[in-house]
Amino acid sequence: MIEVESLSKVFVDTPVVDDVTFFVPEGQVLGFLGPNGAGKTTAMRMITTFLRPTAGTITVAGINADDDPVGLRRNIGYLPENVPLYPEMRVNEYLRFRADIEEVPHRHQVARIDDVVERCLLSEVRRQVIGTLSKGFRQRVGLAGALIHQPTVLILDEPTVGLDPNQIIRIRELLVELGQDHTVLLSTHILPEVETVCDRVLIINRGRIVADGTPDGLRSRMAGKPTLEVAFKDVPEDQVLGAFESLTGLLGVECLDDGHFRLECDPTGDLRAPIFWLAVDRGWTLLEMSPGKASLEDVFVRLTTDEQADPAEEA
Amino acid sequence: MLKTLAILRRELIAYFSSPLAYLVMTGFLLLQGLIFYLVLAFLNNPGSQTMAPMEAFFGGTIFFWLFLLFVVPVITMRLIAEERKTGTIEVLLTSPVTEGQIITGKFLAALVFYTALWLPTGLYVVILRRYSDIDLGPVLAGYLGVVLIGFLFLGVGTFASTLTSNHLIAAILAFVGLVALFAVPLVEQLLVSDSLFKAALGHMDLWSHMEDYAMGIVDTRHVVYELSVGLLFLFLATRSLEMKKGR
Repeated sequence: MIEVESLSKVFVDTPVVDDVTFFVPEGQVLGFLGPNGAGKTTAMRMITTFLRPTAGTITVAGINADDDPVGLRRNIGYLPENVPLYPEMRVNEYLRFRADIEEVPHRHQVARIDDVVERCLLSEVRRQVIGTLSKGFRQRVGLAGALIHQPTVLILDEPTVGLDPNQIIRIRELLVELGQDHTVLLSTHILPEVETVCDRVLIINRGRIVADGTPDGLRSRMAGKPTLEVAFKDVPEDQVLGAFESLTGLLGVECLDDGHFRLECDPTGDLRAPIFWLAVDRGWTLLEMSPGKASLEDVFVRLTTDEQADPAEEA
Repeated sequence: MLKTLAILRRELIAYFSSPLAYLVMTGFLLLQGLIFYLVLAFLNNPGSQTMAPMEAFFGGTIFFWLFLLFVVPVITMRLIAEERKTGTIEVLLTSPVTEGQIITGKFLAALVFYTALWLPTGLYVVILRRYSDIDLGPVLAGYLGVVLIGFLFLGVGTFASTLTSNHLIAAILAFVGLVALFAVPLVEQLLVSDSLFKAALGHMDLWSHMEDYAMGIVDTRHVVYELSVGLLFLFLATRSLEMKKGR
């Protein structure tokens, strides 16, 4: 549905997006992650044809951006970062305007406006002036505007930024609902949002793709050697470390701040039973033993701070 | 066409929901009323030359031009600059609308607002008809001239608004551009030798164009000049908007 090939954008000798290639199939929700200045917004702006690429090709719904930019835009619903709206207009007027410029036939406009007002929970403010609305409502007005023409592709640039937790939950629920019948390209900084909403994650850093996969796939790929987190009740640290020396297959131990120990294990063995019997033999109370799991945060931080991240390896 | 109309309608909502619009309209009408009064007072003087009041009103005084030079930049300054400042240009340029449709819609809205500014001055014609016979031909030609000069000036202002996201700078650029166009006859007078260039500059004298319109003379050369220069600036405005995409 969205096909981006060798896309690059250079601003005054500085490559902001550097040879990016990816494909989003129909119906997929793709999370676009990256630190500030990574090139996410620039890439999205090029896909929506707002910016002209320095190099590369963009195809959306089979339409090439160079051949028919207006035709391509007919298939896209775009919510830019910071949700630009006309504060002097009423919600109804704004949606009518969006319907007009998005070529919604006149006879369908009332039904379409009613539909997006209901979907985005705007009924109570539909006659209100946009400038008087809260940020959460304005976000939903922007989203309603992007949905007015029933686009096949939705491109949303940080749709929950600046919202309070309740508003974030509402928008997130809406995104999950939209993901069922749209192809969505979603940029965000909120990693739990990606785990809730996205089928696939694409991490971009310094204009290049450094990881591409499902949230679970990325976590397991980045997890490295298996780890165990262990805690005993009231046992001095030196005694525990001494006891661990007898374990075979233990590669390293890290003492955590809260009396926990992180054990790096040989992937071929399982240390859970030996640790259990080690505690029994010594009469120690085992409070906790759980396998370590890399979070998406860990993956994000590692990939976007590690200068040696190898895109080919991670992709 | 429908999309251009939608942009025009939205722009009119923006104009008429802004206090600046009412301030401009009030100031414009107050000052035009004062000029009308001064013109009548001047023509009532037995020693003054014989002239139709509306002829003097349209372009017979420097006030007419001063208003246009100041009011038009105020009308056009926010057309594109505001969209760029608030980011709404991104919404427009990522919908199936062309740059040409955006410029046309916004320019037409400015032209409608400009025309609406002048409409109440039709009352002066009604007042004059109560007290004397007046020839409506020159009056209508005068209003045609007002609209045509406005077309040209608003085109320049629209172009200036595409160059920056700052209202004030857009207004200053428009003012400078309009003064430059208005000052063309001064350059012509500085040229000593008769040449094609001098003759061409002579045809660009907006003051004499407006004097002709006010006398009821609709010279197609003037009409073509006003329309073509206005359209040239609208074309430049469209290209300027397209070029922003490459940045």
